[in-house]
Amino acid sequence: MSDFLDVLSVLILLSSFILMANKRIKSYIQTFRIQSALIALTAGIMGIDILSKEGRFDVLIVCVIIIAMKVIYIPHLLNKAYTNVEYKIEKDFFLNIPILIFVCCMIVVFCYFSISNTGGINLGIINLRVVNSVSLILIGLFFMISRKKAIGQIIGFLVIENGLFITAMLATQGMPFIVDIGIFIDMLTAVLILGIMVFKINEKFDSIDMNELKNLRG
Amino acid sequence: MQINSLSEQGTLLIAAITLFLLAAFAALILIKSHKLCNIVSNVICIIAAFFGVAASVIKIFIDNTSTHINIFTSTIPFISIEIEFDKLSAFFVLCLSVLVICVSIYSIGYISHYYGKRNVGLFNFLYSTFILSMLLVMISSNAIFFFFAWEAMSFVSYFLVVFESEHVENQKAGKLYIIMTHIGTAFLLIAFMIMFSYTGSFDLRGSSTAIPEFAKNIMFVLFLIGFGTKAGVIPVHIWLPRAHPAAPSNVSALMSGIMIKTAIYGLLRFVLCYLHVENTWWGISILCIGIISAVLGVAYALMEHNIKRLLAFHSVENIGIILIGLGVGFIALAQKNEFLGALAITASLLHTFNHTLFKGGLFLGAGSIQYATHTKNIEKLGGLIKKMPITALLVLCFSLAICAIVPFNGFISEWLTYQALFANIIPGEAGINILSILSVAALALAGALAAACFVKLFGISFLGRSRSAAVENAKEVPVTMNIGMGILALMCLAIGLFPTLFIRGVDKVVSGMVGTSIINQLQGGFIIAFYPLSISGNAISPLVILGAIVGVILLAIFVIRIIGGKYIERKYGTWDCGFESLDSKMQYSATGFSKPLRIVLKILYRPRREVEIEESASSYFPTSIKYKVSTEQIFEKYFYAPILRVLKSLSRKVKFSVQTGSIHAYLVYIFIAVIVLMLYNRLV
Repeated sequence: MSDFLDVLSVLILLSSFILMANKRIKSYIQTFRIQSALIALTAGIMGIDILSKEGRFDVLIVCVIIIAMKVIYIPHLLNKAYTNVEYKIEKDFFLNIPILIFVCCMIVVFCYFSISNTGGINLGIINLRVVNSVSLILIGLFFMISRKKAIGQIIGFLVIENGLFITAMLATQGMPFIVDIGIFIDMLTAVLILGIMVFKINEKFDSIDMNELKNLRG
Repeated sequence: MQINSLSEQGTLLIAAITLFLLAAFAALILIKSHKLCNIVSNVICIIAAFFGVAASVIKIFIDNTSTHINIFTSTIPFISIEIEFDKLSAFFVLCLSVLVICVSIYSIGYISHYYGKRNVGLFNFLYSTFILSMLLVMISSNAIFFFFAWEAMSFVSYFLVVFESEHVENQKAGKLYIIMTHIGTAFLLIAFMIMFSYTGSFDLRGSSTAIPEFAKNIMFVLFLIGFGTKAGVIPVHIWLPRAHPAAPSNVSALMSGIMIKTAIYGLLRFVLCYLHVENTWWGISILCIGIISAVLGVAYALMEHNIKRLLAFHSVENIGIILIGLGVGFIALAQKNEFLGALAITASLLHTFNHTLFKGGLFLGAGSIQYATHTKNIEKLGGLIKKMPITALLVLCFSLAICAIVPFNGFISEWLTYQALFANIIPGEAGINILSILSVAALALAGALAAACFVKLFGISFLGRSRSAAVENAKEVPVTMNIGMGILALMCLAIGLFPTLFIRGVDKVVSGMVGTSIINQLQGGFIIAFYPLSISGNAISPLVILGAIVGVILLAIFVIRIIGGKYIERKYGTWDCGFESLDSKMQYSATGFSKPLRIVLKILYRPRREVEIEESASSYFPTSIKYKVSTEQIFEKYFYAPILRVLKSLSRKVKFSVQTGSIHAYLVYIFIAVIVLMLYNRLV
């Protein structure tokens, strides 16, 4: 099982690189869907493992919720938002894509550097799964910084959430069920609100460019 | 809820707390009927304060143990309401309760001018909560609870300061007050954190041996700044002369009478009882601050013509005198001279109590004047003694007391402070000797200036002719207001005439802290007291001095009447130099009265004057002359203004460069913060 998890954590990290290299908003959503599916798969494998060893099935429920929410419902919501805005492709970046990818690599190296001697996580050998998932959080944050359009910000936020979830999952073998449920409901609310905000920003400024929000400063 | 180990004064204390709460809620329940609400709430406060007096008197004079009450323990760490009632707390609770009794009696009449105009229910709610929060500050037993009570006290008093919020200057005063008090609180919070980080406990009665020397020094400085801000010592006094005039007079009486004394309580509780005085420089710095506050406070008071601002500056002066006593005490204790330490701290505690009485009384007097004339400017008063004779008599008593004139109480405590300073001149200690001699001189200067100031206050506002129509229509205030002030005046006189009785009580408090009793060294009996007593051989008895003065006056009358022979007495108006009639503009004004001192202390006041003469046909008969004089507040100009300028330009820069409004910039800040934290995790 350990091998499966290693492979999956690398694949999840890879999906965030793919996300970073994308320009089309439609493919942001697709990549996010794939990433969520991978996370659901991870949760499923761990859930089966825990069910067979300890008899708990809450991780499996979490897995089902992930599939329902992150793989189906939220991408569906985002697609609806996508059809309503006129910007389909990100054109101007603060940094160009090769540099972004390079920075992402640096982030992974930095996470390795930072986490490799943290007590409690590394049992004998360096826990690469945690390194990968912490990198995912930072890459999500960096994705939010690098994109100017509001949908990019939402996707970045969701990637951060994915990263937090998978970090908690891999570091603790499943958090208490109630905590997971709480986080999911928070995230769902956040995405709903953000989706509405995208419409509003689009209406008010004729664009979803976050730089327009500067005008709100007092 | 659990209440353990209740002794009788514990029960009394709990009863007092409950009654104050009841008063607060009664005020809210009866909010519709202004008169009923005011009377009910104040009467409950008076009863509660009587419980407080009973509890503290029993504690000071009879009980020698310390009462610990655990009202409420929660599962949240450190959040618990623990009360510890020892002699020091009892002494301050006594000050509070005595003042509350008088002020509440006064408020029954005073608040009547709010009926139908303002929210009396809200006012009484805040008033009762304010008293309760001060009570809790004095009896709390852990630093967290102390901090909560302290903050509650600051907030509630802020709302009371801005109660008449339609005036812009009141809002400004409130804003300045809340900023200054929070700066002070921040210092206290840091000190509590240091305390916890070394001892692992917030217990105020715990031991401080685990705290190393340098941390103790830092804590002392933090406590000094934090409590100093509340006490209003110079140079952090600037909120005091603004907040006191803004608040309603009964609240200013409480604020000046007892709220600023919570800072003295804090210094005694934390520095003396918790940290234990170890370094001489602690006492020296308190002494220096005390000297500066005493002299400059009274000097600024002289230039004020707003009666409440003037009194507020006198609070600065009196806090200075209290701190002089405290400073000498700390110096002596650091040098293991316990007798002198006890004497000086007795002096400063007695002055605390005395100041509570007469300054509370003076603010109530100012309130009476405002109630009758609707003005606070003494240049517009005059001749009030004919309109309100009782108020005039009471204000005269308080003025004599604050000027330290026999036979009132101010004299007793200042005399003890002088004695402590003289006794502090020990052969061999050159630096401290010079400081002591200088502080004697400074205290004498402050006393003389205070006397001049109160001659001005009383003379200009009560004597002479009335200067405005408001005074012409003034009437004597409601009887409850005079009763409230009268009790305070009687107590001032009682302490002045029978000081040993009160010193005995203070001595019990001090000997509990310091371990040495000084009462046996004081000569004299129950009625005629001589002090001090054996240390320097000086002996003085207020009663005998009073007797001597009366004797001299009688002798003079006797000599004039009997030996001088008969003469005819003719009653006639004052000679008016041939003018048509005397009017109120021909009398000495407050500005004119303080002119000589303004010239002498030019370096401090930097006075500027403007004279505008409107000429008519002849230059000898101008149609009008306007004379305007203004003095400079050097601390505000040279200390606060530069700091504010730097802060302002800094915040403007931050607004335009850091807080740009761009979401990406904020995300970058978060990103950098996370990276730095991860780096910290790796490297440390």
